[in-house]
Amino acid sequence: MKNKITKRMLLFRCGTIALLLLIAGLMFIVGRGHTVYFDNKKVSYDGKSIDTPPYRIDVYVNDERVAKLSAGDRGMCSWMGQDFRMRMEITKEKGGKKQIANVALKIPYNMDGIVLNLPALLAGFPQDGYLTEFVPAPAEVTAEDEEIVTDEFGLEGLDDGMEE
Amino acid sequence: MSNENATTKGNVLQTGQQKKKGNSLLNLLASNTVPIMFIIICAVCIPISGFSPAYLINEILTRMGRNTFLILALLIPIMAGMGLNFGMTLGAMAAEIGLIFVSDWQIYGIPGMVLAMIISIPISMLLGLICGKILNAAKGREMVASYIISFFINGIYQLIVLYMMGSIIPIKHTTVKLPRGYGIRNTVSLLNMRQKLDDLLAINVKGVKIPVATFIVIGLLCLFIVWFRKTKLGQDMRAVGQDMEVARDAGIDVERTRIISILMSTVIAGFGMVIYLQNMGNLSTYSSHSQIGMFAIAALLVGGASVDKASIGNVFLGVTLFHLMFIVAPSAGAKITGDSMIGEYFRVFVSYAVITIALIMYETKKRREKSQMAELLAAEQEADA
Repeated sequence: MKNKITKRMLLFRCGTIALLLLIAGLMFIVGRGHTVYFDNKKVSYDGKSIDTPPYRIDVYVNDERVAKLSAGDRGMCSWMGQDFRMRMEITKEKGGKKQIANVALKIPYNMDGIVLNLPALLAGFPQDGYLTEFVPAPAEVTAEDEEIVTDEFGLEGLDDGMEE
Repeated sequence: MSNENATTKGNVLQTGQQKKKGNSLLNLLASNTVPIMFIIICAVCIPISGFSPAYLINEILTRMGRNTFLILALLIPIMAGMGLNFGMTLGAMAAEIGLIFVSDWQIYGIPGMVLAMIISIPISMLLGLICGKILNAAKGREMVASYIISFFINGIYQLIVLYMMGSIIPIKHTTVKLPRGYGIRNTVSLLNMRQKLDDLLAINVKGVKIPVATFIVIGLLCLFIVWFRKTKLGQDMRAVGQDMEVARDAGIDVERTRIISILMSTVIAGFGMVIYLQNMGNLSTYSSHSQIGMFAIAALLVGGASVDKASIGNVFLGVTLFHLMFIVAPSAGAKITGDSMIGEYFRVFVSYAVITIALIMYETKKRREKSQMAELLAAEQEADA
């Protein structure tokens, strides 16, 4: 009887652990966040080039305007998951008519920051032409490190007092 | 002779009952001194502070969503007779480790919260197990022991977070890691999961935001606690809480039951800390957890709970009154004295004072009950003689 219960309990425990691992794995994929940068800049790729980017591009993600880009500007937004969708309102020339483009693309899982060159994307360049990884500039190495505050007893002042 | 004895015994019991009835109002007041005191403080401070009812309700609802889960973590050890679990800080530390990883792995929103909770479970369980074993060795002194354990584990936490993360444990992002290459920054941003649970299904009623999803999660925990009390393990915990020796005689594994209660409390505290920090939107790596136990315990006591008795009602009343005082005290202090720091000091010293008063009252009540029992026993023996 005791063995039977132990077996059942063991099975239940293993099942719980497996379920938790499954959920964790799912969260790992579903919740992967990316910072997406939008460039409205001139671009050249594989012999082709776009020298005059559109006058203005408004980028909407989840029905919210996240970037208002004049030629040469960069904007950004945060995105969760790998299926990225956005809507663009493109004004090619000043005073020109707005064109709307809906775009859906796959974001590579391993990239934290992604730079999308919007003129290249709109011109139908291959993925390598419009999508690059954002590499942050290396931080300046400073002599002074961030001061860590771990003294919850407030004993630092006491030390000074005792030395006197 | 036996008739006379019976009459005398009856008289003694009747007098005792009448006395009891007469004192019932006084007892009610005495057992609810802390909530009454807080109601008076709030009643005085609210008009002085000048805050609008909508603002106060909004703040209370936000703080209720932020803190209630953490405070509910205290109920199970109280049920098992282990007093106020100052060791809930261990769960908070486990949650912080989970959040540091999640932040480094760039997992956003609710999936990030869930993942942080899952990561916190084994750490909380391990810490809860250690804490439970130590508390079993320090029976009768659980509160002070758990308080000191939290400092001990805090040292280990700091060792891991300050020296092992980034050097032994891989941490990739410079936004999380210290510029020297190892150790975690003082503040880790949780902007990508900030109020994600609170905003999920949130409704706005006349400028008052109600975080429905957070309250659903809290409600589920309340239902779990109500259900758990009725289970075999829950009954065992109550039996252990009432009398360990009797429970042991009844065949209950007292030590195991006590360990499970602390373990559950630590795990729930870990979940609560994730909910708390998603509301705040940032994590103070070295200090977020340090005061959390103190404030959660103070809030529970303000709600009328004691060291040996606490209910879900106490949690909700406590979080409302305690945080109402937290909101209005600085402003009221500034209006009365012209210095808002007075209010700040006031709310901090009140938190500690409440715990002190509650502990004194608990001891006094215990002694009074003991002496009353002794008096009644003596009277009965006299009547029998």
